[in-house]
Amino acid sequence: MGRQILHRLLISVPALLGVLFLCFCLLQVVPADPAMIIAGPDAKAETIAAIRLELGLDRPIPIQFFEYIGRVIQGDLGRSIISNRMVIEELGQTIGPTVELMLGAMLMAVPCGLALGTLAAVKRGTIVDRIIMAFSVAGVSMPVFFIGLILIQYVGFKMALLPFTGRTGPVWAGGLPSLVLPAVTLGSVLIGPIARLTRTAVLEVLGADFVRTARAKGLRETAVIVHHALRNALIPVVTLIGLQAAFLLGGAVVTETMFAWPGVGRLAVGAIVSSDFPTAQGAIMILAIAFLMINLIVDVLYVYLDPRVQRG
Amino acid sequence: MTVDTLTAPSSVAAETEPSLPGRAGVLRRLTRDPVALGAGVLLMLIAAAAVFAPWVAPYDPYFTDLSKAMQAPSAEHWFGTDNTGRDMLSRVIFGARNTLMLGLIGVIIGGLLGGLLGILAAFYRRLDGWIMRLVDVMLAFPAILIGLAVAAISGAGLTAVIIALVVATVPDVARVARGAAVGVMGQEFMEAGRAVGVSDVTLIWRYLTLNCISTIFVFLTLRFGQIILVGSALGFLGMGAQPPTAELGMMAAQGRDFLFMAPHIATIPSLAIFVIVLAANLLGDVVRDVLDPRLQQ
Repeated sequence: MGRQILHRLLISVPALLGVLFLCFCLLQVVPADPAMIIAGPDAKAETIAAIRLELGLDRPIPIQFFEYIGRVIQGDLGRSIISNRMVIEELGQTIGPTVELMLGAMLMAVPCGLALGTLAAVKRGTIVDRIIMAFSVAGVSMPVFFIGLILIQYVGFKMALLPFTGRTGPVWAGGLPSLVLPAVTLGSVLIGPIARLTRTAVLEVLGADFVRTARAKGLRETAVIVHHALRNALIPVVTLIGLQAAFLLGGAVVTETMFAWPGVGRLAVGAIVSSDFPTAQGAIMILAIAFLMINLIVDVLYVYLDPRVQRG
Repeated sequence: MTVDTLTAPSSVAAETEPSLPGRAGVLRRLTRDPVALGAGVLLMLIAAAAVFAPWVAPYDPYFTDLSKAMQAPSAEHWFGTDNTGRDMLSRVIFGARNTLMLGLIGVIIGGLLGGLLGILAAFYRRLDGWIMRLVDVMLAFPAILIGLAVAAISGAGLTAVIIALVVATVPDVARVARGAAVGVMGQEFMEAGRAVGVSDVTLIWRYLTLNCISTIFVFLTLRFGQIILVGSALGFLGMGAQPPTAELGMMAAQGRDFLFMAPHIATIPSLAIFVIVLAANLLGDVVRDVLDPRLQQ
């Protein structure tokens, strides 16, 4: 198991270098000269040259790339052009809310999806099955912001049940109400695919020999479904969550922007709109690394959940 | 023996799998399924309205009339008017035109590049490792991040969205195309073609690509809806079309400011995206079942 995880870690190195290279390019290909931006509009030529020297902008690109990697490892991502704070500080403040939002969305979506998918499989061919599957297709086709707009308008504004802008604090410090609407918005995108795949997986397992054995020895139907069918159906679902990580991340950027949620996605969008390249580069890098990590965790979980992978 | 007697590999493949219906059969089966028929007709109507937007739209989508601002849907303006009094129906039609165009360009260019990469990886084993590593690196970037990065580098605009959609399409298509092509490579006619000295170009095009194309096509049909969702999300974030250009995602974002006074300004473009993607997804599912049952899980 340890070897497999190590192998998986090594595979993600080229991808990580790719991420770093793109972020480095982001600082290189910017339309304006960074030195000129930092120096300001009426700076003298000598000032700009001094800044260029200080930033190492006069050296060859490959050397600059290696220096950039060195700086990134040390946590130096530069300074925000707008707020003049270290980018790493800004990221440190926004990463928590983003993780919180994603976890909240998963905590909402995974149980719902599993329950709906199992129900559809057990009631296969009935009206319940058809309604759940119709909802699932509709959910897959729904833009994240559509769900958000409806929730903000009805639950947030008309019924005034829950707050819909900003984050009042961490969950453990009374921030739960402000998390609910963003998490439901983001999570609702995932319910459809999870339900659909769970249904297929449970149907497949329900036909297996060990399920027949479990029934034959007189286990209650709920025990058969929960312990025998659902547990085995979890394996493809975990893989699916890895595949949906891109959606989760993209959805998080949209959700954060809609609900003024102080996360990395909103930071990235704000930085791009205001041409704050160091911040944009840092935020995009963190999001891409987060995406790599989600996939890594999913692969490791997969080995843990399915002992056949270890032997194979 | 001439080469021509061997250049009918597609019929060979069809013989080994008699379950695949002919072209006429596909159309008949698609029209017999009520869901597919409904989705197909709806999508064609929307596409026709988008193509002929200048003639179909009842008003000029850019004509502002502040005296008619934020009107709710009525007989005069079916979808109401926006915050500057522009006709929403006309803007949605023009917006759908841009949104659909973005999705189509993304799927077509991404499909061509991805298909080429996948087929080359299957044909030249030496390239396989390199191409698949490249694909892995591309997969490390979710489409939204590519869109954000490109918008940061070159400025927000339709080009940024197109690049993001292409980059998002290429790796998955490359994987599917490689999978299909590896299967075809194992067939005897590939070896036969090589034995009689058919050139690589002919082998790749007539023997390999034509046999993989239906799998790639089905996959792209299935992806079309998702690509439109990503494109409109980028529009919503302000990375795509810039005002006053009508694009559904951007229109939804603009309408957000007036959500509590005139909810229809944000809701109608979002609903339009939902309808387009839903129709595309339903149609894609049926096309898959009919054309390529192997892709089904």
